[in-house]
Amino acid sequence: MVNPATAYNMLHAIAPPVAARCLHWLCSFVLPVAAAGWLAANLASAAEPVALPNESDFYRLISVATSESPTDSRAKNWRPAPNGLALEVSGLTVVDDQRVAVAIRKGEVWILGGVYDDPPRNVTYQRFATALHEPLGLLKHDDAFYTVQRSELTRLRDTDADGQADEYRSIAKGWGLTGHYHEYAYGPKLDRQGNFWLTLNIGLGLKGAQLDRTVRDPTLGYRQGRWRGWGMKVAADGELIPVCAGMRSPSGIGMNSAGDMFYTDQQGNWVATNSLHHMREGVFFHHAEALASMALPGSTITDVKKVPGGLPYPAALAAFPQLRPPAVWFPYEKAGQSATDIMLDDSNGRFGPFANQLFVGEFTQASLQRVFLEKVRGEYQGACFPFRSRFASAVLRLAQGTDGSVFVGLTNRGWSSLGTAAYGLQRLVWTGKTPFEIKEMRARPDGFELVFTQPVDVASATETGSYAMQSHTYLYHSTYGSDEIQRQTLAIKQAKVSPDGMRVHLRVAGLRELFVHELIAAGVRSRDGHPLLHSHAWYTLNRIP
Amino acid sequence: MQMVDHLRFSGRPAADVMFVVLTVLQTVSLQTISIAEAAPPDSPYVAGFERFARPGEIAPEVGGRLLVSELSCTACHSSPSELLTAKRGPILAGAGNRLNHQWIRSFLAAPHQMKPGTTMPDILGGLPAGERNAAINALVAFIGSLERPYPEFKGTGAKPVPSEFWNLGDARAGRQLYHRIGCVACHAADVDYETVETKPTPLDELLQQLDPAELKEMGLATAARRVTSVPLGDLPAKYNRKALTHFLLAPHSTRPAGRMPDFQLGLVEAADIAAWLLQDQVPGTAAEIKAAESRDVPQVRASIADAPSAAPSGANSLDSSLVAQGRDLFTSLRCVNCHAIDGLATGPPAMPLARLDRSVGTHCYGTAGKNAPGFSLDDDQVASVKLALAAVAARSTSGDDGPERGTSSAVAAPSPESDQLQLGLLRLNCLACHTRDKQGGVGRYRRAFFETYGNIDIGDEGRLPPPLTGVGRKLKPAWLSRVLQGNGSIRRHMRIRMPVFPAAHVKDLPAQFAMADGGARQQSEHEVFGDAGPLAEPGRALLDTGCVQCHPLRGNALSGVVGIDLAGVTDRVQPEWFREFLLNPSSLKPRTRMPTFFPQGMSQNPNVLAGDADRQIAAMWAYLKDVEKHRLPDKIEAARSQSYELVPDNRPILLRTFMEKAGTHAIAVGFPEMVHFAFDAEHVRLALAWRGRFLDAEGTWFVRFAPPAQPLGTDQIRFPAGVPLAVLPDAASPWPRTDVDQDTAEGDTYRYFGYKLDQSGVPTFQYRYNDYDVHDRIQPQAGHLLRKLTITKRQPFRSRATLWLRGHAGKSLQRDGRLSYTSETGLQTSIQHVDAAGELRRQETIVEWIIPLNFDRQTTVEMRYQW
Repeated sequence: MVNPATAYNMLHAIAPPVAARCLHWLCSFVLPVAAAGWLAANLASAAEPVALPNESDFYRLISVATSESPTDSRAKNWRPAPNGLALEVSGLTVVDDQRVAVAIRKGEVWILGGVYDDPPRNVTYQRFATALHEPLGLLKHDDAFYTVQRSELTRLRDTDADGQADEYRSIAKGWGLTGHYHEYAYGPKLDRQGNFWLTLNIGLGLKGAQLDRTVRDPTLGYRQGRWRGWGMKVAADGELIPVCAGMRSPSGIGMNSAGDMFYTDQQGNWVATNSLHHMREGVFFHHAEALASMALPGSTITDVKKVPGGLPYPAALAAFPQLRPPAVWFPYEKAGQSATDIMLDDSNGRFGPFANQLFVGEFTQASLQRVFLEKVRGEYQGACFPFRSRFASAVLRLAQGTDGSVFVGLTNRGWSSLGTAAYGLQRLVWTGKTPFEIKEMRARPDGFELVFTQPVDVASATETGSYAMQSHTYLYHSTYGSDEIQRQTLAIKQAKVSPDGMRVHLRVAGLRELFVHELIAAGVRSRDGHPLLHSHAWYTLNRIP
Repeated sequence: MQMVDHLRFSGRPAADVMFVVLTVLQTVSLQTISIAEAAPPDSPYVAGFERFARPGEIAPEVGGRLLVSELSCTACHSSPSELLTAKRGPILAGAGNRLNHQWIRSFLAAPHQMKPGTTMPDILGGLPAGERNAAINALVAFIGSLERPYPEFKGTGAKPVPSEFWNLGDARAGRQLYHRIGCVACHAADVDYETVETKPTPLDELLQQLDPAELKEMGLATAARRVTSVPLGDLPAKYNRKALTHFLLAPHSTRPAGRMPDFQLGLVEAADIAAWLLQDQVPGTAAEIKAAESRDVPQVRASIADAPSAAPSGANSLDSSLVAQGRDLFTSLRCVNCHAIDGLATGPPAMPLARLDRSVGTHCYGTAGKNAPGFSLDDDQVASVKLALAAVAARSTSGDDGPERGTSSAVAAPSPESDQLQLGLLRLNCLACHTRDKQGGVGRYRRAFFETYGNIDIGDEGRLPPPLTGVGRKLKPAWLSRVLQGNGSIRRHMRIRMPVFPAAHVKDLPAQFAMADGGARQQSEHEVFGDAGPLAEPGRALLDTGCVQCHPLRGNALSGVVGIDLAGVTDRVQPEWFREFLLNPSSLKPRTRMPTFFPQGMSQNPNVLAGDADRQIAAMWAYLKDVEKHRLPDKIEAARSQSYELVPDNRPILLRTFMEKAGTHAIAVGFPEMVHFAFDAEHVRLALAWRGRFLDAEGTWFVRFAPPAQPLGTDQIRFPAGVPLAVLPDAASPWPRTDVDQDTAEGDTYRYFGYKLDQSGVPTFQYRYNDYDVHDRIQPQAGHLLRKLTITKRQPFRSRATLWLRGHAGKSLQRDGRLSYTSETGLQTSIQHVDAAGELRRQETIVEWIIPLNFDRQTTVEMRYQW
């Protein structure tokens, strides 16, 4: 039995397995040329394929419109690319099988035609609305567009059919806006009851006249604009209803297949790392300054007398009953650095094997993560997986097209991202090939069950050394982010493959509730000999079933 | 000398494979070793020597000196000459987890075959076979034991750090970077890589047609010569992706000599290039090193600090003794002289350079002999080294054994500084990209790789690295230092990147350039221009006449203009050069696209500063020196305004933004009539009006920190705080306060519903107050604002108390008529279509004019604002 910690480190460093590698080296170095040829010929079936598949073999990126601009995303004199529309996509909604509509950060809505063409040679641009204040969402609903501006939820309608909005109807407003740039407002997304959901950023370091526009909680003393750090819903009659609180930078909102609403948060003060949360009434997430609005009429959070600081998350949850753990933590750097939009794959398989799962945008690393959720004792938890990288810029918005492909809205101004563009719109298309991936990772009383997209090779999947697992948690504190703490290595006791080869039951010793369980399944091979396209997964084990 | 001019990306050439195979088998069969040694060795590749010394473009002795330093002769054969400072080899700390151990073994066995062109000599070739084999084993064990953790990178919002980024490299992206950012200035391009520019330049076509004799006659021999490439060696055999990625990220941490410069790559960029360079390797991670290690190298983890005595007691004693043996050899064979290792003394002394018998030194020149390394030099190289050594010996015998100063030495040199400079440029291969005095520059067949973003054509100046001819006169040393430190990228339109070289190797360059180019005695700004400060404004006007057609300023430019931003130019170039360049650009920069604005030194613009060319140039300098404090030149300002100033030409323009005087829910509305207002949608009130220019939207549109928008025009007037309408129980009840308390403005009382645009684009604001729906339309009329409030009772209508309109408010109100008042601010409100004249009342510090509104179902009140 290999020491689990050693096995873990080895798997971290070595993939694919050493045996195959040694063969390669034998071929290159040790054997005379003739013998190497003989060996290669005779071992061809067992040896590694020379070019491993990569993400683009399964999900192809098509640029609908991306800037080619060397602009430094943080430059003081930031300029859009010359002679072009600054397509900094901040809101994205599908219109039909020809068109999408985008909100852009300078405050306009454009309808783009020809966006499904491949390649998109004849994209058309039609300006639909202007003079919006940094809109950060767009939704087509009932023959109108809805967007959340800094100060209100607005309905945009073209009542005289000239192709341009003439009615800018304020559906709901009333949240605080002190004038601090960080007070972004995101949304809306629609739930199945017809409510619009929106989320409100926390302001940072307010001063001067900004403070005149704050509310203050008499017990805790926090000051913020009204409902800052809250998730809100807006009923059909326009009533603004506070739902849940404790958000820092909730730039993504989305519904899962069961109709529950989620949001993503981004690492920062009080927020250990990026996270995915189930929004529901009376729940508190992380950022304590959201409690500035606790005493306002309509608040769903009551009786927080003291906010604990500097405790490991499990201890903080015990000390702070309103605090609820995220459904999924995205470990920093490993699963992104700033989570954004949430998109449900609602395409019945036209986007590949992940129907009904959630996809989460990633700003800094210009990528997408994938999320599997399950309910354990009535609460959501689940796992995140890397999915697709190398978008042209920071991913802020996602929307699934009528053909199942995914439109991706990009903009990196103000922060930084990988990629070569400052902004743009891309489309991610499933090539029809099924990647070998861990499709689902489910908690079990004695470990985890992995569901794969393709049958596994029984020998490698039964070998416990093909897997490694560690778990960690975070500190709940007011400072920026948290290291991964209380890290432990878990022993994989057994790996049992289902008769159809699609599932592996891992018996794992030492599961800890409320800890993130990191799995590396680098040794697993598919029946036709491929390694996993992504061998890492992170399961947030709030509850052991 | 066989040059490898294209990367061997697809498969290792058979000879190499054969060699490698044989080298490995040497441990089994001595016979095969001799076969391997029989293979013709490659001579060391020193870029400056190959390009300039071999064809005779520099003095043979200079080529010799270059070789002496690049081959690190003086690491063993001491010399006081600064011109001959040894380059030395890579730092081997961390070699154990950076390099494939099998590669180390093969390289030690036959460096010139394993890495063609290497400057590392064959150290062991002179040993008897058995001894040699044992030495290799020991050295591999020792070098393999030198482990060092890789640096860790911390991700932030400003720094993407994908975990295990070195595994994420994309060979296609790496290939593109490799061919775009400057790698191919020195290294070979992939034959199949397609640049955007495919058409040969006229010069290329000419070169193509001429035969060698003609080329020589026309002085084009240099331009026609293919510039050979710095060989990369068999990277897949040497590195894995992690190791190569980290090398590319920080080349100087292992190669402090800086011959491979630091391109300051992003983490994923480095991974991409590594993936491209290693694409023949089966994609993977550390497996290559570990696999090799597990077979070939004793599993000992002794760092240098862990001397044999400190080795873990459980360690294999044979292995640790092998490591110790290797360490001893590392000193005794003088490896350490080039590869310094903390705690290891230098090797035994060798003959000082000046006393070498240069006619005999064949051991070093050719193959390794007993006690002497073999550098595998070819005849040209031997001849050049001999010349350099002759010069050293001559100086030594003439008693001048110190640093080579003065011109009394046997081989005359123009000056030590220019020698230093020339050798410095040759060593760092600056001339691979830059020309200086007609030497060097981007080589033939490589120019197409130097592209601009968007492939805009702004000539070779716009895509090739700038020439260094006269740079010591042109650039201020402080600026040149910044460039050399990697902080001088002003040519952002180019894809090529100026890499960074180690400070120790470039710190003297600015002074040396200045000295060599006669720029050491630069005139001060005052000496050149006199007192030019007051001339900034005419300078600004002059910029408009030409400069702005090609140069941006402070990030602003005329449409389509791409080039060097002139902001900061006075910190970069010398005033004298600036003056001369403006007077006659092509005298300083042949074939420049910069036109002459002062033909024969005469200004073309007699209307500014009386047409005095010197004063005009001084004025431009003065303006550019303080460009941050002055307005942009009119044409650029107009272009900027065109992009960002909202000019309502024929329809109203709206901008929703932050405004200091209209709050955080401000909706600014600009009209072609040049009268504009801002509506505060939070407090449901008209907040501000002004005339003239409307607004600049740049801050609202594109500045992250969302600064408040400022009215550009004049005649700003603020309107009294507070909502327009209120239901008051009686005429004495206070007007609702809404400017600070958000609850009363919103909540049950006022509800803002947005606006509708009519056919002409004029917004009508809509809100509900109590049992009333209000449509509020404001637009210019005869230079003033006309406001129409249409108030409709909602059904069922329950309100019993009276609805009041507040006509005006201020510290004092002056009655102008029955329905007209002017406040102390100068704002006059006149109302039509109301029955009652209303009343004036004092509420605390302000006077209010309120009017009761009595109507059946709907009424429209017209208010005219004049100021």
